[in-house]
Amino acid sequence: MRTLSVAAALAALTISVAAHAADKPELRIGSVVAMTGPASALGLPEKNALELLQEQLAKDTSLPFTVKFITYDDGSDPTKAVNNVRKLITEDRAHVVICCTTTPTSMAILETVTQAKVPNISLALGQSVIEPANERHWIFKTPSTDQLQVTGLVDDMVKRGIKKVAFLGLEDSFGEGGWIAMQSVAKAKGVEIVASERFSRTDTNFTPQALKVRQSNPGAVYIHAIPPSSALVHQALKRVGYTGPIYHSGGSANNAFISIGKQDVEGALLGTTPVLVYTDMPDSNPLKPVIAKFAALYEKRFNVPKVDIFPGQSWDAGNITLKAAEEVVKAGIKLDDLDASRAALRDKIEGVKEFVGVGGIFNYSPTDHLGLDHRSTFISVVKNGEFRLYESK
Amino acid sequence: MTDTVLFLLVDGLTSGLVYALLALSLVLVFTVTRVVNIAQGEYVMLGALTLADLLQGRMPGTLYLLIGGLVLCVILDAGRWRRDWRQALLYASGLVIAGVAALALTRGALALHLPVIGMMVVALILVAPLGALIYRFTVHPIPNATTIVFVIISVGVSMSVQGLGLLIWGANPYPVDPIAAGGVMMGPVFIPYQSFAILITALLAMGGLYLFSEFTLVGKALQASAMNRLGAQFCGIPVNAAGALAFLLAAAFSAVSGMLLAPLITANYEMGFMVGLKGFVGGAMGGLIDYPLSLVGVMIVGGLESTSAYVASAYRDVLVFSLLIPILLWRNTRSRVEAR
Repeated sequence: MRTLSVAAALAALTISVAAHAADKPELRIGSVVAMTGPASALGLPEKNALELLQEQLAKDTSLPFTVKFITYDDGSDPTKAVNNVRKLITEDRAHVVICCTTTPTSMAILETVTQAKVPNISLALGQSVIEPANERHWIFKTPSTDQLQVTGLVDDMVKRGIKKVAFLGLEDSFGEGGWIAMQSVAKAKGVEIVASERFSRTDTNFTPQALKVRQSNPGAVYIHAIPPSSALVHQALKRVGYTGPIYHSGGSANNAFISIGKQDVEGALLGTTPVLVYTDMPDSNPLKPVIAKFAALYEKRFNVPKVDIFPGQSWDAGNITLKAAEEVVKAGIKLDDLDASRAALRDKIEGVKEFVGVGGIFNYSPTDHLGLDHRSTFISVVKNGEFRLYESK
Repeated sequence: MTDTVLFLLVDGLTSGLVYALLALSLVLVFTVTRVVNIAQGEYVMLGALTLADLLQGRMPGTLYLLIGGLVLCVILDAGRWRRDWRQALLYASGLVIAGVAALALTRGALALHLPVIGMMVVALILVAPLGALIYRFTVHPIPNATTIVFVIISVGVSMSVQGLGLLIWGANPYPVDPIAAGGVMMGPVFIPYQSFAILITALLAMGGLYLFSEFTLVGKALQASAMNRLGAQFCGIPVNAAGALAFLLAAAFSAVSGMLLAPLITANYEMGFMVGLKGFVGGAMGGLIDYPLSLVGVMIVGGLESTSAYVASAYRDVLVFSLLIPILLWRNTRSRVEAR
């Protein structure tokens, strides 16, 4: 069935390309995501969303150009990511590169896209991908950052009167990113970090770190990891009798976290993007209808019960590209002129204002290539095995 | 403070027992076949993921590996059809029957919704033969290769099996039900029932291996091949069969350890390698030939791991693997004394 519909979509695409090839220029969106390897749990939904966007565009003839999607797998490997991005830029002549799923892969391709002068929209969490903005001229990103999410969580701690926090993080670059964000935010907000413990995905036991955290007697614990580790660390904290609030990074805000942690993770507080809690938002929130539409499309197409945060990131990246490309064509720049249109696309992406996406409201500027603010960060709480919107008191 | 020490002790012991099953497998394989099996940890992963599949009512991906392996065996045996077609036919039909039996067993188990222990037995029956198959493909064809060649081959096996695991199961972690949910409070320390299950199973496995090698003919044949391969061959012991059996038993022990570990940390495709290496560090204490010393070794590894994770969590793996250096120095001085 799936093959059939893909085939139908491809056929439709070919027909539409054939019909419009004569009068419409072609926009080539290249993307490299982690379809295999450790990050495939993130990369596959991202690929799915791009596929969905492609199918939607096949039905849509209102755009002043045709769109060609070229997607490669990087196997979560920085070297492969660089090779595939080179291929996209030189062989496939992509106008925009959407890459990559993880922070290490996104960091690896910075040099390549900057030298080739190709606009790049990253799907990685790490802030270092886009900062400092003057050096990352060609790089944008759609996912929220550690800094933004940690700020939201620490604000909540401060509101609750918590003065001491313990940090638990993965000992890879992901955990390091959380640690750096936590240090700077805690300092700014006057919260003391009383413990910092590390663990890895392949560990068999997380209790010692939990014991150390309990001993430091924190008001709250912040865990910067992804499932299964984040859920297992949470369980370990419960096991050693820690009863205070436990905060998690956005990396845990997916269904695996609940299916592994079960009743132990009830009450866990997670920094999250709007997509997980949109159903609980008031109707007045401009994000709600946009997310609802995307969720309905995605859930129907890929037959998943509930959409998580990753597909929205590539969906936004694709839509921001389309919006910028429309502006470029409107400004009279030919997409066939690769260098000029790449540069123009970059400028138009930077000029995107108040764009309501699935991941938040984007306002790019020369100094801000993330484009998101506090309106796009939410805290969710695990309640009866579901992520619900948490109203801070 | 006392409860902290108790927690660390209990967890160190639990991890130690898991690594003990690995060390046992490594020693068994090394003594009988002289293979330092870096890939031993992958059976941990296969056992855990097979159990996860069975418990969630899916056909386990291990069946593909098993049936694929059996087919490959028949193909490798093609040369025999010319010389002795009766034997070859017997061999091929035996393997076909084994494949069909494995399929039937899995279907039956899934239809009956066996309890966790029953599913563990089924998973064990599916995973253990993979050890013998891997022996057939990697060690059997080159019986006189040097140890270093076998080490390199086993690294290759580890990478391939992990890759196949990723292909079959994907990168997602699978939650696995414990044998018995919940646990007890012992003083201030909460101990999950699974820890007791690990203790009991590990003791049963070790005791079983001891009884098997001391009191059965096959077990004694294994011991003989371990002591002197050539001599055993002269005495009419089929050393290749002994090697395959050692691989099979080792795979079984490791798979059991994976199935016991999975409820504590979920099953995923990359869980095995680290566990295998830590079992190796423990086994190195006994020079990969001495069972009791290896057990002491893994207990030290388990204890050190849990205390170092408490004292300096960022350096816990560094500390555990640094343990190899004093162990090797100690073994070196010991063997020199023996040589004198």
